[in-house]
Amino acid sequence: MLEKIEAYLKEIESFSTSSKEELEQFRIKFIGSKGLLKDLFDDFKAVPKEQKKEAGQKLNALKNSATEKFQNLLNNLSNQTESKTENFDYSRPGTPINLGSQHPVSIVIKEMCDIFSRIGFTVKEGPEIEDDWHNFTALNFPEEHPARDMQDTFFINSESQHALRTHTSSVQIRVMENEKPPLRIIAPGRVFRNEAISARSHCIFHQVEGFYIDKDVSFADLKQTLQYFAKEFFGKAKIRLRPSYFPFTEPSAEMDVYWGLETETDYKITKGTGWLEVLGCGMIDPNVLENCGIDSKIYSGYAFGIGVERIAMQRFNIPDIRMIFENDIRFLNQFKSVI
Amino acid sequence: MKIAYNWLKDHLNINLNPEVISDLLTDCGLEVEGLEEVETLKGGLKGLVIGQVVSVARHANADKLNCTIVNVGGDKNLPIVCGAPNVAEGQKVVVALVGAKIYPTEGEPFEIKKAKIRGEVSEGMICAEDEIGLGENHDGIMVLPDDAIVGTHAADFFNVKSDFIFEIGLTPNRADAMSHFGVARDLLAVLKHQGLVDVNAKLNEKITDFKVDNHNLNIPVVVENQEACPRYCGVTITNVKIAESPDWIKNKLRSIGLKPLNNVVDITNYILHDLGQPLHAFDADEIVGNSVFVKTLPSNSPFVTLDEVDRKLDQNDLMICNQEGGMCIAGVFGGLKSGVKQSTKNIFLESAYFNPVFVRKTAKRHGLNTDASFRFERGIDPNITMIALQKAAMLIKEVAGGEIASTPTDTHPENFENFEVSININRVNALIGKNIEKPIIKDILNSLDIEIIDQIEQNWLLSIPPYRVDVKREADVVEEILRIYGYNEVKIPQKINASVSFTQGLDFQKFKSSIADNLIGLGFNEAMSNSLISSENIAKAKIVDENLLVKPENPLSAELDALRPNLLVNALEAVRYNLNRKQENIKLFEIGKGYILNEEKYSETRFVSITVSGNAMSGNWKDNPQPADFYFAKGVLDSIVARFGLNQHSKFKVLENTDYACKYGVDYNWRKNNFAFCGELNQNLLQEFDIKSPVFYAQINLDLLFDLVKNQKVIVSELPKSPAVKRDLALLVNKEITFDALKISAQNSDQKFLKSVDLFDVYEGKNLPEGKKSYGLTFVLQDQEKTLTDKEVERVMDKIYTSFKANFAAELR
Repeated sequence: MLEKIEAYLKEIESFSTSSKEELEQFRIKFIGSKGLLKDLFDDFKAVPKEQKKEAGQKLNALKNSATEKFQNLLNNLSNQTESKTENFDYSRPGTPINLGSQHPVSIVIKEMCDIFSRIGFTVKEGPEIEDDWHNFTALNFPEEHPARDMQDTFFINSESQHALRTHTSSVQIRVMENEKPPLRIIAPGRVFRNEAISARSHCIFHQVEGFYIDKDVSFADLKQTLQYFAKEFFGKAKIRLRPSYFPFTEPSAEMDVYWGLETETDYKITKGTGWLEVLGCGMIDPNVLENCGIDSKIYSGYAFGIGVERIAMQRFNIPDIRMIFENDIRFLNQFKSVI
Repeated sequence: MKIAYNWLKDHLNINLNPEVISDLLTDCGLEVEGLEEVETLKGGLKGLVIGQVVSVARHANADKLNCTIVNVGGDKNLPIVCGAPNVAEGQKVVVALVGAKIYPTEGEPFEIKKAKIRGEVSEGMICAEDEIGLGENHDGIMVLPDDAIVGTHAADFFNVKSDFIFEIGLTPNRADAMSHFGVARDLLAVLKHQGLVDVNAKLNEKITDFKVDNHNLNIPVVVENQEACPRYCGVTITNVKIAESPDWIKNKLRSIGLKPLNNVVDITNYILHDLGQPLHAFDADEIVGNSVFVKTLPSNSPFVTLDEVDRKLDQNDLMICNQEGGMCIAGVFGGLKSGVKQSTKNIFLESAYFNPVFVRKTAKRHGLNTDASFRFERGIDPNITMIALQKAAMLIKEVAGGEIASTPTDTHPENFENFEVSININRVNALIGKNIEKPIIKDILNSLDIEIIDQIEQNWLLSIPPYRVDVKREADVVEEILRIYGYNEVKIPQKINASVSFTQGLDFQKFKSSIADNLIGLGFNEAMSNSLISSENIAKAKIVDENLLVKPENPLSAELDALRPNLLVNALEAVRYNLNRKQENIKLFEIGKGYILNEEKYSETRFVSITVSGNAMSGNWKDNPQPADFYFAKGVLDSIVARFGLNQHSKFKVLENTDYACKYGVDYNWRKNNFAFCGELNQNLLQEFDIKSPVFYAQINLDLLFDLVKNQKVIVSELPKSPAVKRDLALLVNKEITFDALKISAQNSDQKFLKSVDLFDVYEGKNLPEGKKSYGLTFVLQDQEKTLTDKEVERVMDKIYTSFKANFAAELR
């Protein structure tokens, strides 16, 4: 028995192969269910008691050696197999994982909300069907004032004076009526204008409204928040403000970002001035604060409103605003990239 | 609003170039949207000179043509072939030289080239009036007076001027700047602040030596409605001669894009754009009864306006009337009969201040928007009424002759008073966020004609002229100071001024974003559609009753006449749009509002729609494409539900009717709230939208789901100490038995160890008895504390199988 073990041990140690078949024969011969090791273990039962210890140890060593050898050779063999796969086509397309896309308007709104959230603004929404009070009167649009002509309105019910909101500024009123200052709000949403649909204008679009009301909020603070936004969103730090007019702010301004005139596109989008018109803003008119029960002698505030589509069109080079609402998959698929 | 650079110079001595002026105007709130160089005549008559015809000879090869030699200055003689019958030796004519671009009164511009006309060389063109935009006449070439000097540029001869035009986007608050005078006044304030002119510089004032010649034609004025007409001035001028205006007036009007008509009308237009005071000239002989009444007429009184439109008046339309009836809609539009005509001899000139609200309502009612109404409804200067009248009257006399035949009437002879506004300098500076020194503020206010009448420390009392209709409060004064001081001169602070604001609970934006992100991850494109759709399509989809729809009273078109009640129609339109463009694999979602009129209240609900058609998963070289089906849409919906922790508790209910236009489908309920549905859309509906492939649609009521989940929390349960056991059963059941029924039955038969039931195989093919199907179910059993013994497992499985047999007559396969 012991000699047998010795002999097999030698045979195992000296065995080597690079063929799968030979290795399989080796396995059958030694470790297979009808192999030599099985026979030896059967024989082991008949070994006299005093030899059992030595024989047992040797037999185990033999078993380990055989298993180890087999495993090593198997590993070698499979390594070889892989490295030898010459015709493996790595270039075949990977299993397709279908990627969706976010709508360009959502991309821009989300980015704007994120930018303002980072400096402590809270997101709020308001209704799109608004009454005259929230959309016009409380925002200091006097009745029969030419300012009402600045926005073509869809009227829903002239009796109850409901209309589709023409701007997100109505959210200012909604929030001020229900909450006390300090208020630092960003309000994205859909607005409506009764304008013919063309490449440049649509009857629906989106705005992002922002406002801050507290004690001692100044025009300089407004400029700072807007400069922060310009830097974050456009990567441009140079801004300028032009006096303008909105009934709900006084003083009112429009903000331009200095875009530069390096390329032909720069010329096109800035009409040759280098300045890109970005948003309207101003200090909240005291009448608006008073209309919402906020004492304008104690509190002041600033507000701004950004048109989303125009900025999306400029950022993504979208030539026609109608494309934004057509839901053509070939258009939407271009926004798979989140960059 | 167009403002001409040279016209501004009438009021202000400036030599800054137009680009600089343009920036200054923009910075002070008169935004220059465009700056354009223009000639008073298009093309400016460039390349045209005065010539003299030296000789005329018949063209050898053409009956109607002449060969001429024309001297164009010095010894330069040009051969020109001319077709005009009136050409003759010795005439002084306008010659277009080779290379000149000609702008005819009608038709396209063209360039003069050296040519051979039927064998004769021609180096230029002798021009007719209409060929160079000087008039309508085409009877022949223009023959100039003998004293015209040969070689003179035609531009000089005809007094053509070039000018720069600022296109100003005037905001409704700037009523003070609706004229060249007003713009010059504001510009002067800016120039002073910037040190570009002397602090004492003034606008050029042309003093009008107004003089009444006689009292031959007195026309008294009665204002019946003082509220609508706070001031009315009038004067008569007799024996005028209606003719063309002199060049300087025509050029001024042309430079700002107006067409000259006749001297009197041109002068009223000139004064309007010069001083901002609209005027109206009446033919005095048409004023029946020789008196003027400013009043309203009974409603539905007929009136024909200058544009020959028959209008019906409203009882609130203010009218300028004679004894018989209306002559002019006050401040808006003249009448057909009463205006100045070629035959007019005597005129009555009106200069008034009408109430902005009256004018605006009337203009809106009649859909009229004139240069006059534009100014009146914004509010003109009530103190300029008489000045403008006198200036115009003298100018008419100068240009059209005649005599001023009455003392001007004025219903409000004394000046309108200034407003008083008190400000606190500390508050002003706090609002600006910068300490502007008092002397600077004072200078700015002075430059804007705002007087400081009282000053107690920080509290100033200001007196503001009435032409500044937009300056009534401290905040308005802040804007005045700031726009002259410079918005861009306020420094941006280094530190942010912020107060803390809070949001409680789950933020809807985050909730919405996570749904969007989830769907994008599953390969869906986010769509965004118009909220306005056609009520016809809503009816086709049978979404809601017609009387629940919200509809604009003034829709853009019949296709956009209603607000969507939910997102279904948009989804169908998107599918059709893409199918028409051969985009057949559609996975879209949209997050948007639906609008409904419910018990006389408008309600808005946020929805998510999920639309699938074509392949749900695209195929490739190793996998076949996976066509969209109901179970895909349901799986997508399940994944969203699971995201918000409702999967354990939500219950399905088979859709009972076709409310949702679904052929079949399921409702999703949670605590009896139906928050979503999912199904295959009906063939009939798809046909209405020309869609030929199956469409699977799911819709979530986002507001409801948000309410259901906003307080959900993840609570971790203890991990089991022992492994789970899996058992399969292959069952033969009747076809109508649902998986859900089997699952519930299993759950009811064991609540202790049974953790989950799943369906791993479905077979409905051959080799099965009639009406039967085979369902392979997998059961996972587990005890929290110990490993289940075979015996325990068998006992549970027996119970489950027994319940299947009892409830569904299920058999093992």
